[in-house]
Amino acid sequence: MFQTVERPNIYCETLGPDQFGIIEKPLTLAEKIYNQAWLRKIAILLLLAVLWEVYGRWLDNPLLVPTFSDTMRALITDFGNGTIPSRAWGSIEVLMLGFALGALLAGLLSVFAISTRVGADFLETMTAMFNPLPAIALLPLALIWFGLGSGSLIFVLVHSVMWAVALNTLAGFRSVSATVRMVGRNYNLNGLRFVVRILIPAAFPSILSGLKIGWAFAWRTLIAAELVFGVSSGQGGLGWYIFESKNQLNIPEVFAGLLTIILIGLAVENVVFRFIESRTVQRWGMQS
Amino acid sequence: MTRGTRLAFRPASGGGATKNLSSAAVSGRGRARADADPARALLEVRGVTIQYKTRNHLITATYRVGFNVLQGDRFVMLGPSGCGKSTVLKAVGGYLAPTEGEIRLKGELITKPGPDRIMVFQEFDQLLPWKTVLENVAFPLKATGTLRGKAADERAMHYIEKVKLANFAHSYPHMLSGGMKQRVAIARGMAMEPDILLMDEPFAALDALTRTRMQDELLALWDETRFTVLFVTHSIPEAIKIGSRILLLSPHPGQVKAEINSVPRGQENSDEAAALAREIHQMLFADQIEEAPNVSNG
Repeated sequence: MFQTVERPNIYCETLGPDQFGIIEKPLTLAEKIYNQAWLRKIAILLLLAVLWEVYGRWLDNPLLVPTFSDTMRALITDFGNGTIPSRAWGSIEVLMLGFALGALLAGLLSVFAISTRVGADFLETMTAMFNPLPAIALLPLALIWFGLGSGSLIFVLVHSVMWAVALNTLAGFRSVSATVRMVGRNYNLNGLRFVVRILIPAAFPSILSGLKIGWAFAWRTLIAAELVFGVSSGQGGLGWYIFESKNQLNIPEVFAGLLTIILIGLAVENVVFRFIESRTVQRWGMQS
Repeated sequence: MTRGTRLAFRPASGGGATKNLSSAAVSGRGRARADADPARALLEVRGVTIQYKTRNHLITATYRVGFNVLQGDRFVMLGPSGCGKSTVLKAVGGYLAPTEGEIRLKGELITKPGPDRIMVFQEFDQLLPWKTVLENVAFPLKATGTLRGKAADERAMHYIEKVKLANFAHSYPHMLSGGMKQRVAIARGMAMEPDILLMDEPFAALDALTRTRMQDELLALWDETRFTVLFVTHSIPEAIKIGSRILLLSPHPGQVKAEINSVPRGQENSDEAAALAREIHQMLFADQIEEAPNVSNG
């Protein structure tokens, strides 16, 4: 049969914190360097640049693939004489205007959608219809409506930004927990004050990812539009610069133009959006 | 109704004269008004039936529930899950409209949520993650325009010190433990100095040790400020420990079984408390199950 064994109570002495050898030990310099995400990323970029240079030299055909050094030379020259900065600024100016307008309209639509059922139906239908429609496909129409200038570019930009941002914002608003909503209502917040003080911060991770997607869409649309139809308000942007260089068979400059687009994209993602994230969703513990 | 005779045994809880001493130090607003008419209940719930619809059914959550909460009460609604205690609390909070009956706070009909009844929820996500502890506690003060700027921060800080979180005033909620978050939520509720604090199983998601400590701290806070609280729980020991008055509800739909006095403060481990726990147990469940008096079941 089962027999229970008598066991005495056991008491142990624990060591005080001063009796331990090492509780915290600083990392070595190499470990610290390896822990820096940006350093690791720069190492990857350097590796890619080296591969490019090697391939370019091995191919030895600057009309197909110029070497990395040639591209950098073209980039530095055109940076120096102000061509690329002015072209890039031309693109960015239009882009920011279109992006801001698109995000604003998306915000209004989402607020309308979260506050009324008709608004939600409207937004859902519109996004289902227009989100899959490539913005660039609207450019011919836009050129007829708004003429050969930044007006038509802004129109297609708004179209490319708005639906992605609105979709994400609405999804974010809907995922705000019932408890947080009740807390807001408990303090007599309603209407616009409720949206601004509760919904937008609570849905900020979704809104931010919507803005990121919208930003990428806008960039693509703009460069494509410039490549096809070129001129916006007299002086072309980066897309036009690429197109021109190709026509003159200045292939290193084509690559320099592409590189500029990539650099701007990297900067916006890693500086602007990273800054916003570290100040908001990361600090609030909504995203690790 | 089932309450009836027991009301006669009710002792006067919380001396009226001492009530305002500590809150007056912070501001003159709030509790003082209710003392004008001590005969009138602070919160009157009369014949409240609450029904709600799901996709296929119309569900009656509570049926003609009625009770009165007086100034300074620690009023506990106790019952098994499905007895509609949280539903009644949400109705008092103004989030749900009763299908029948009425709820009055200081004689005024409750129709919508308002800052005179601050709710403390069970969920840890009731704190706004984009605000620090101090900003969270000051938020309702600023949002409702009760106080502005520095005055709001000072009042918030006063209550943060009361819940012993002064060192964490500038931390964000995600850096705090569950018990600390609930203490912030309680501080936020108390900082508004509402007419009544509504607590929806605020300690249910905490571990047993933290829960016991939080119960002690809540009672210590009550000793200091004598706020009125309507507390929902499904734990009999918690009800006996926290409550000065206990409302028992039966499930499906929620109906009042009894409204009884709890044991005096600090006697929650006495034989009297054990007897009360057994009595409540017998009323709530037909077949009696043994339960140690101080085990807080989660």
